[in-house]
Amino acid sequence: MATLEPAVTPDARAGDPELLERTWGSPPGLLGWLMEVNHRRIGRRYIATGFALFLLAGLEALAIRMQLAVPENDLLGPEVYRQFFTMHGATMMFLFAVPIMLGIGIYLVPLQIGARDMALPRMNALGYWVYLIGAVTLYTAFLLGVAPNSGWFNYPPLSRREHELTIGIDVWISVVTILEVAALIGAVGLIVTIFKQRAPGMSLNRMPIFVWSILVMSFMIVFAMPTLMTTSIFLGLDRRVGTHFFNPGGEGDPLLWQHMFWYFGHPEVYIMFLPGLGMVSMVIATMTRRPVYGYTPVVLSLVATGVLSFGLWVHHMYATGLPRLGTSLFTAASMLVTLPTAVQFFCWVATLWGGRPRFTTALHYALGFLVIFLIGGITGVQLGAVPFDLQVHDTFFVVAHFHYVLLGGVVFPLFAGIYFWWPKVTGRLLSERLGKLGFWLMFAGVHLAFWPQHHLGFMGMPRRVYTYLPEMGWGPLNLLSTVGAFTLAAGVAVFLVNAAVSLRRGEPAGDDPWGGETLEWSTPSPPPVYNYRWQPTVKSRTPLWDPDWGTQPVVTGLREDQREMLSTTLLDARPDNREILPGPTLVPLVTALATAVPIVGVLFGLHWVPIGAALFFVAITAWNWPGAMPHRTEEPGGREHRLAQREREREEAEEEAGS
Amino acid sequence: MSRRLALDVSEYPALVSGPRGGLWWGMLGLIVIEVVVFGALIATYYYLKFLAPHWPPAGEPLPKLLLPTVNTGVLIGSSFAVYYADTSISERGDVRGLRIGMGLSLLLGVVFLVLKVVEYSQVEYFWDSHAYGSIVWTMIVFHSSHVLSVVLKTGVVLALSGHGHWSRERAQGVKVNGIYWHFVVLIWLPLYITIYWTPRIHG
Amino acid sequence: MRPLSAARPRLPLAACALLAGGCVGTGVQDVLAPRGPQAERIADWFWISFALAVAVFVAFVAVLAYGLLRARRLGERNELPPAHGRNLVLWGGLVVPTAILLVLLVLSAYTDRRISRLGRGAGPEPLTIEVVGEQFWWQVRYLDPAHPHREFTTANEIHVPTGRPVRLLLESRDVIHSFWVPNLHGKTDLIPGRTNDLVFQVDEPGVYRGQCAEFCGTQHARMALLVEALPPAEFAAWWERQLRPPAPPTDSVRVKGRDVFMKNGCGVCHSIRGTPARGRVAPDLTHFASRRTIAAGTLPNTRGHLGGWISDPQGIKPGNRMPAVPLKGEELQALLDYLHSLK
Repeated sequence: MATLEPAVTPDARAGDPELLERTWGSPPGLLGWLMEVNHRRIGRRYIATGFALFLLAGLEALAIRMQLAVPENDLLGPEVYRQFFTMHGATMMFLFAVPIMLGIGIYLVPLQIGARDMALPRMNALGYWVYLIGAVTLYTAFLLGVAPNSGWFNYPPLSRREHELTIGIDVWISVVTILEVAALIGAVGLIVTIFKQRAPGMSLNRMPIFVWSILVMSFMIVFAMPTLMTTSIFLGLDRRVGTHFFNPGGEGDPLLWQHMFWYFGHPEVYIMFLPGLGMVSMVIATMTRRPVYGYTPVVLSLVATGVLSFGLWVHHMYATGLPRLGTSLFTAASMLVTLPTAVQFFCWVATLWGGRPRFTTALHYALGFLVIFLIGGITGVQLGAVPFDLQVHDTFFVVAHFHYVLLGGVVFPLFAGIYFWWPKVTGRLLSERLGKLGFWLMFAGVHLAFWPQHHLGFMGMPRRVYTYLPEMGWGPLNLLSTVGAFTLAAGVAVFLVNAAVSLRRGEPAGDDPWGGETLEWSTPSPPPVYNYRWQPTVKSRTPLWDPDWGTQPVVTGLREDQREMLSTTLLDARPDNREILPGPTLVPLVTALATAVPIVGVLFGLHWVPIGAALFFVAITAWNWPGAMPHRTEEPGGREHRLAQREREREEAEEEAGS
Repeated sequence: MSRRLALDVSEYPALVSGPRGGLWWGMLGLIVIEVVVFGALIATYYYLKFLAPHWPPAGEPLPKLLLPTVNTGVLIGSSFAVYYADTSISERGDVRGLRIGMGLSLLLGVVFLVLKVVEYSQVEYFWDSHAYGSIVWTMIVFHSSHVLSVVLKTGVVLALSGHGHWSRERAQGVKVNGIYWHFVVLIWLPLYITIYWTPRIHG
Repeated sequence: MRPLSAARPRLPLAACALLAGGCVGTGVQDVLAPRGPQAERIADWFWISFALAVAVFVAFVAVLAYGLLRARRLGERNELPPAHGRNLVLWGGLVVPTAILLVLLVLSAYTDRRISRLGRGAGPEPLTIEVVGEQFWWQVRYLDPAHPHREFTTANEIHVPTGRPVRLLLESRDVIHSFWVPNLHGKTDLIPGRTNDLVFQVDEPGVYRGQCAEFCGTQHARMALLVEALPPAEFAAWWERQLRPPAPPTDSVRVKGRDVFMKNGCGVCHSIRGTPARGRVAPDLTHFASRRTIAAGTLPNTRGHLGGWISDPQGIKPGNRMPAVPLKGEELQALLDYLHSLK
C-alpha cells in the first residue's frame, strides 16, 4: 500500500521538528530521568556505567598487581586478595564487557537501521535499571567486606556452604542472576529491533556488519546465559535449602557445575568479542574509505564463530579426568573456531590493502587489536591441545592468554569504537594527539603486563595465588608485569583526560567527520531525540556512499503527535505496519525494583522470594494495563476501527452487488 | 530546498497481531530463553542419572504414573481452550468465546496445580534427600510456578476483556498470552517423559 | 625422543633471547625443564607449536604491514585487484591456517597417546600411591595390594623410584585441588566424589617441586609438595624405614617433648605411629624429621622455622587448619627436639 510520490518537497509534508521533539522527548528534571525510555539515553547510561565499572575493575587489578609485584608481599592478605581477584573477574566479565557492548548496540543499532527507537522501549529501560541494581548490590557487598571470594567462576564444592559460609557467595549468585536477566532483556530487545525496525530496503544482506555482530551476540546470549542462571540457582538451592546438586555425598557431582558453567562461559567470551569484531569492521571500512572486503564471508564468519563457540566448553575441563577421546574432540573444535576469525582477519587485510587508510586513533586501535588478539588466539590454539593444556592450565600462562584475547579482542575494539563514534554521540571531536599517546601507552602496557605472564606460567606459577616464595625466581617478571599494568592504566587515564577535555571544549564534530557510509552519519551530532526527521530508506550496504543518496526516498505519513515508527518485514524489510511506542513512564523502574526483591532479597531471607514474586506480578500487570501507556492504544472508534469498519462495509456492499 | 521522494506509510495498520508485531517476537524470545532453562534442567537430570549407581536411589520407588498422566491430559486440554479463545477473538471478534475459552483454560490450569500439590504431598523424598530429589523437585516446582504465572496472566487478560479491551483488531495481547500458554503445556511433555518414564525404561 | 634432548636446550635459549624472557630460570617447577618422559613429550609439542606460532605471527604482521605501506604509497589510486582479495582470504584465512591447525592437532593427539600409554598395558607394574588433597596439604598413602601390612601414610612429600612408572590415585576430602609437578607431567584435579589417576615416571634422581593448581581456599598459594626420585635400591630402603615406627625416645628432653605433644592435643589431628597419637585430619608426623619442608612447602624444616610455625601457624599461613598452641619456652624446645627426632 505504499505510494511513491515523485518530487514532493519535504516541507509540504509533515516533519515538524518541534512537534517531534515534544513527542519523543522526556519530562525535565529527576522524574524525567527516572521515566526515560529513549534508546540513546538508555544506551549512554549502559556505556557510562559499564565504563565506570571497567575503571573499578582496573583498580582492583592494580591492587592485585601491587600485591604480586614482589614475593612474600603483605599489601593484601589472603582473605582480602581472594575478594579482589573475584571482584576483578566478576566485574569485568559480568558488569563491564557484556553490558557495555549491549549499551553500544542499544545506542547505535536503531540509528544504523534507520529507526527512531528500540522496538520495546520500556523493556529496554527495565534492562538498564536491573543492571544498575546488580552493580550496586555487588559493590555494596564489596564495601561491606563480604564480596564473593571464590573466583569469578565460583566452583563447588568450595562455594558450597560447608566450605564457604560467607554471604559473599550468595551475593555472587544473586548478582549473576540479576545481571543475566538484564543481559537477556537487552538481547531480546535488540533481536526484536533488528528483526522489525529496519529501514525499508535494508534487507538482511544490507545490514551494517556491526548490526550483524549485535544480532549474533544477542542470539548467543539467549542460548548461553540461561544455563548459568540455572546452575547458579542450583548452587543457591544447595546453599540455602540443602539440595545435593554438587554434593558428592548426596550423589551429586561438582563437575555438573563446571559443565553448566562453561557451557555458558565459553560462549560468554565470544559474546563479548563479536560486537568488537563488528566495530572493527566499521572502523576499517570508514577509515580506508572502502566497504569491507567480503561482506558475505565476514557475516558468515560472525555466525559461524557464534555457533561453534557453543561446542568448546570442555576445553576448560581437561584436567578433571574426563575420558581422553571426548576431550580430543574438543581440541579439534577449539582449533576449528579460529578459522572464521582468520577469514575475517584477512578480509580486513584485503580491505586495508586496497584502501586509502587514514591513520586516525580509531584505526590505530583496530590495528592494535589485530596484533594483540592474534597473539592471544595463538596461545588459545596451544591451550586447546590437551597434553599442553595439562601443563599450563590454571597457571599464569592462561591468565596471559585470556588477557591478550580480552584486551585485544574486547577492549581495543571498544576504544576503536569510542574514538570512532564519540563525535556522533557527543557532537565533539577527541584530540588525535592525546588519542595516539593513549593508544601507544595501552599497547605497550598490554605487552609489558601480560607477555611475562606466559613465562611465569612455564616457570610453575599457578593462578590465584596471593603470594609466592622468593626462591621460585618469579619476582622479576612479576615486577615487570606490574609496571606494565600501570602503563596500561596510564593509557586509560590519558583517554579519560582526552574525554574530559573534549566534552568541555572539544572541536564541534559536524554530522559526518569521517565520511562514514552508514545511516547514523546522516544525522546531526548528537542526533535529535527522534533520530531522523523522516525515517530513511536504503538500497545498498553503504547508503551514504551511494552517488544518489541525496534523492533516496524517505518515509512520510507517520503521525508526529504520538510515538510512531515504521515496522518492516523480517527478510526484505518491506514496509509492514506502524509501531506505536510508549512514552516515558516509571513502570520500568518500578518493575526493576520488584525484580530485585526476590533476587536480592533472598540474601536476607527466603520469604522474600514469594513476596518479591507477588510484587513483580503486580508491576507487570500495571505495565500491561491500558491506562499505564498513554500513547499506545487506538481507542474503539479510533482510526483502525474506522478503517476496518469501512473495509467491512465495502465487502458487504460488494457481496450484495454480486448476489 | 532539496526535493525528496516520499514513501507514504500512513495507510499501514497500527494494530497488528502475531509475528507482524514486536511484542510477539519479544514473547518468543522469552519462550526460547525458558526452553534453554528447561533444557538445562533435563540435561542435569540425565547427567546425574548416568553418574548414579541406582536411579532412583536405592530405597525410592519408581514415580507413580496415574495421577501425573491424567494431569498431563488436563494440561493439554487447557491448550485447546486457549486455542479456542485465541481464534474466537482474532478471527471472529467474538469476545464471549474469548471469555469462555480463557475461563476454561484458567480452570484447567488450577486443576493441574491442585493435582500436582496432591501428587507431591504424597511423595516420600524431598529436595534435600539426595540429588534425585533435588532435580525432580526443582523441575516440578519450576514448571508449576510457570503454570501459576500463566494462570495469573490469563486472569489479567480475562479481566481486561471485561472492560471491552479486546477486539478483532486489538488481539495481540491475547495471542501473545496464548503462545506462552502453549509453551508451558508443550514443555511439560519432555519433563513428563523424563521424570515419569525414563526411570522405567532404563531402570 | 632421547637424542633430541641434547639439541633442545639450545633452542629454548635462542628463543628466550628473542623474547627477552626469563624462561631459563632456576629449572625448578619448570614446564620447559622436563625431567620425565611425559613432560618431555609435552615440551616437544610446545616447541613445535612455538615455531609455528612465530612463523604465523611474523607472516601476518608482514602481510599487514605490506598492505598498509602499499596503500600509503598508491594513495588515491589504490585499488584491490579482485584476485588478490580472493587469494588473501582463501589462502591466508582458510587454507594455511587449516593446514597448520591440522598439523598441531595430529601432533597433539600423538603426544596425548604417547603420554597416556605409560604404565598401562605392557611394561613394569606401576607403583601405586594414593594422594588425598585437603585444605591445604597432601596426604600420601603408599599402597601394596599384595601386602597390606606394608602400606603406610605420610604427607606432602612423595618419594618414588626412578625408572618405574608411578600411578597416583587422586582424591579429595573437601574441595577441588589439582596435582601438578611441572618437571614431570601435566596436572590432574583431585575432585571429591571421584578418583582420578595420573601416571608418570622419573628418569633421573632428584627433587622436584609441585604446587596445588586449582583454587582451593585462602591458602591455595601455600599448598606445595615435593617429589623425590631415588634409585630403586635407595627407594626400597626408604620404604623400609618408613614402615618402621620411630623408636620411643630415651633422652629426657625428648620424652618431655613427646609429653608436650600428647598433652596439648596434637594427637587429635596428627598421628605418629607407635604412639597414642592417631589423628587423621592433619599430616602424619611419623617420620616428620625426614621431610624437607613444613606446612606443605611453606617453610624449610629447620628447628627455627618449626618453632615459629608451632607458635604462630595463623601468622605464617593464615586460614589454614592448625590452631595456635601457646607453649612455654622450654616446652617448645623439648617439643622441637622430639619432633626432630622422628626421622
